[in-house]
Amino acid sequence: MPRIKIDHVKCTGCRHCETACSLNHVANTANPRRSRIRVMRDGNRYYPVISGPFVDAACTSKQLIEIEGQHYDMCAFCRASCPEKPYFIEAETGIPLKCDFCGIPPSPSCVRWCNTGALELVED
Amino acid sequence: MNGWVGRCLRVNLTEGRHTVEELNPALLETFLGGRGLGITVFSHEVSPETEPLSPENKLVFSSGPLVGTGAVTGASCNVITMSSLTGTIACAKMRGHFGAEMKYAGFDMIIVEGKAETPVILSISNDTVRIIPALEYWGRQTSETEDMFKKSLDNQWAARETFLVSIGPAGERQLPMATIINDRFLAVGGAGIGAVMGSKNLKAIAVKGQHSLEVADGDRFVQVVNTLINKLNSAPLTSQSMTQWGTAFLVGLCYQKGILPKNNFQQSSVSLKNISTDALENAFALRSRGCFACPIACIKKTDMKHHAYEGRGMVPTYLAIGSLGANCGISNLSAIGMANMLCADMGLDPVAVGGTVATLMELVEKKIATAEELKIDLRFGNENAVLDTLRLIATKKGHAQRLGPGAKAIAESYERPDVFMGVKGLPLAPFDPRAIQGMGLHFATCNYGPHHLYGYTFIDELLNVHEDSDPSGIEGKPALTKRYQDITAVMDSLGLCNWPLMGLKFKNFVPMVNSCLGTHYTADDLLLIGERIWNAERLFNMKAGLNASDDILPKRFTDEPIADGPGEGQVSRVNEMLPEYYRERGWDEHGKPLPETVKNLGLED
Ligand code: SF4
Ligand code: SF4
Repeated sequence: MPRIKIDHVKCTGCRHCETACSLNHVANTANPRRSRIRVMRDGNRYYPVISGPFVDAACTSKQLIEIEGQHYDMCAFCRASCPEKPYFIEAETGIPLKCDFCGIPPSPSCVRWCNTGALELVED
Repeated sequence: MNGWVGRCLRVNLTEGRHTVEELNPALLETFLGGRGLGITVFSHEVSPETEPLSPENKLVFSSGPLVGTGAVTGASCNVITMSSLTGTIACAKMRGHFGAEMKYAGFDMIIVEGKAETPVILSISNDTVRIIPALEYWGRQTSETEDMFKKSLDNQWAARETFLVSIGPAGERQLPMATIINDRFLAVGGAGIGAVMGSKNLKAIAVKGQHSLEVADGDRFVQVVNTLINKLNSAPLTSQSMTQWGTAFLVGLCYQKGILPKNNFQQSSVSLKNISTDALENAFALRSRGCFACPIACIKKTDMKHHAYEGRGMVPTYLAIGSLGANCGISNLSAIGMANMLCADMGLDPVAVGGTVATLMELVEKKIATAEELKIDLRFGNENAVLDTLRLIATKKGHAQRLGPGAKAIAESYERPDVFMGVKGLPLAPFDPRAIQGMGLHFATCNYGPHHLYGYTFIDELLNVHEDSDPSGIEGKPALTKRYQDITAVMDSLGLCNWPLMGLKFKNFVPMVNSCLGTHYTADDLLLIGERIWNAERLFNMKAGLNASDDILPKRFTDEPIADGPGEGQVSRVNEMLPEYYRERGWDEHGKPLPETVKNLGLED
């Protein structure tokens, strides 16, 4: 099954993936807040996160994540369109968002516009 | 509306009020947005006689129509005001994410007028506009300001999506070389703008928004953007050099051609230790950082484990390496990096401040100024003295007060105006105009002072991307200079970054513009808009008292040949090129736009 592999070290925080996604889902519209991929910022670093459904179980198995000496709350990387974090709730409609592998195959639209290799389509 | 939001936010700090206005569609068609629209609005509202640091001056933040739509490199927001350094119109380019966020918040333009009684921060979140007291922010460095502001927000998720433009201590003290910092990177060409912001007691503007932007023909637009990304990927400069090292890759090239100046343009930097890309890679751990919707990501950050960087430093660009490094005789990259970071934290423009330091260094070398008198040992190559000076200038304490007014004023105060290497009050960007003639012509004529990022002639003269143009020749240079000046003006107005010109032709952008905005421009239509903007700026400057005598390079460049290196023996032939340049532009011999030029461009009052 094809999946999108994320390499956050390569991500430049350009948010081109966000605009690609919204242009693909809402006709003629660019708006990162309607995108199903969002780039979380933490200081100088960027972490792309692709949205998925919200389940309670996600919150009960939370762990502290350590990346290159820095500690992060797992919420920052969680892909659930949960009501606590407004990232994957569509701003104008309130609908929870979920990635649907949009765009012209083989590459989803975000992968196509991501020029750094941070997003990559892989088969496994 | 497609691309544009169509709304402008006007904030009056004196009265603490704001209003929302509709933008005039006719102006959008003739000036597009960004720089063009900003200049027009500014020149209609502010008299050229205005004192730059008075409440009557205004600050116009103007984002282009393509910004935030996903158009390739559509990130640029321009800040227009009258600069206290040059006394001319000033226009800084802010890339990063501020411009896009401003549009998501629902505004193409923010006009700030008046003066707040005490320091304030302007906070815009969707349609909520607030003017917040900011006394506790005053005196803070820009990175601190950003962190503090974000911490003060109730919703930490929203804080992550908030973008700031702020001034540092230099702007607060209204130093003419103060600039503004956007999302932790220095605005390009912002000398003097930080001072204006400081004079209004405006510490920062924060934006966050969630409105949608519309594009005219989404399917076509997505296709065109795909094509442009692929094109950028097949061009060597945009897919390798720029992505790997950012503009710093130019250092090696300029060094080889004798264009990189040393010691206040007295020598060419051939005698300096190599400060090119390999050295850069050894000195910094490079990681890329992109402006909004940019596939090139030329900004380099470093996670260098140096205590002073604390993992937050930006790797110096060509501009910083040239101005703060080579031209001050310094070749130690970590010192240059530190100087660059100090500039960002203090809110100083690297070109303006680098030029000031270099001027003083030459005065010391010539024994006109002494170390005892300056209380600082400003010899060429003394990196610690430079770092100390940067810290002192921004705080304007004690003996550093005399450094504050900038290079030109310092040179004049020692009665040696000839050691000031600049035009219109702004020190030269680090390109020796004797070794690159078209750039020299641009430096002399640029409306904003001698800055290479308002006329990218080096793309052809140095990099030979679109045509082979010999840097030392003058044939065809007036036309080349005009063309790049116009292209830059129109790209700034659309909200595009200009670096993709290293991989794309100007005409490649046209389908993207039209599918986004629903317009039918041809490349020539757009270039005409660029020309209109250039002339509008020129007319404003002339009303502010500038004339052909300000289109002049310092004597060093026209009279003294380069002393060493590959460019040895050359002088700038700018005075030979000027008459032809004026003709190309449709100006008279005194550099004044002819009545028919003004009429053809639709610029009559
Ligand atoms: S695959 Fe499609 S839906 Fe999912 S994030 Fe990418 S563009 Fe959006
Ligand atoms: S497009 Fe790629 S590099 Fe840019 S923000 Fe998205 S994941 Fe990061």
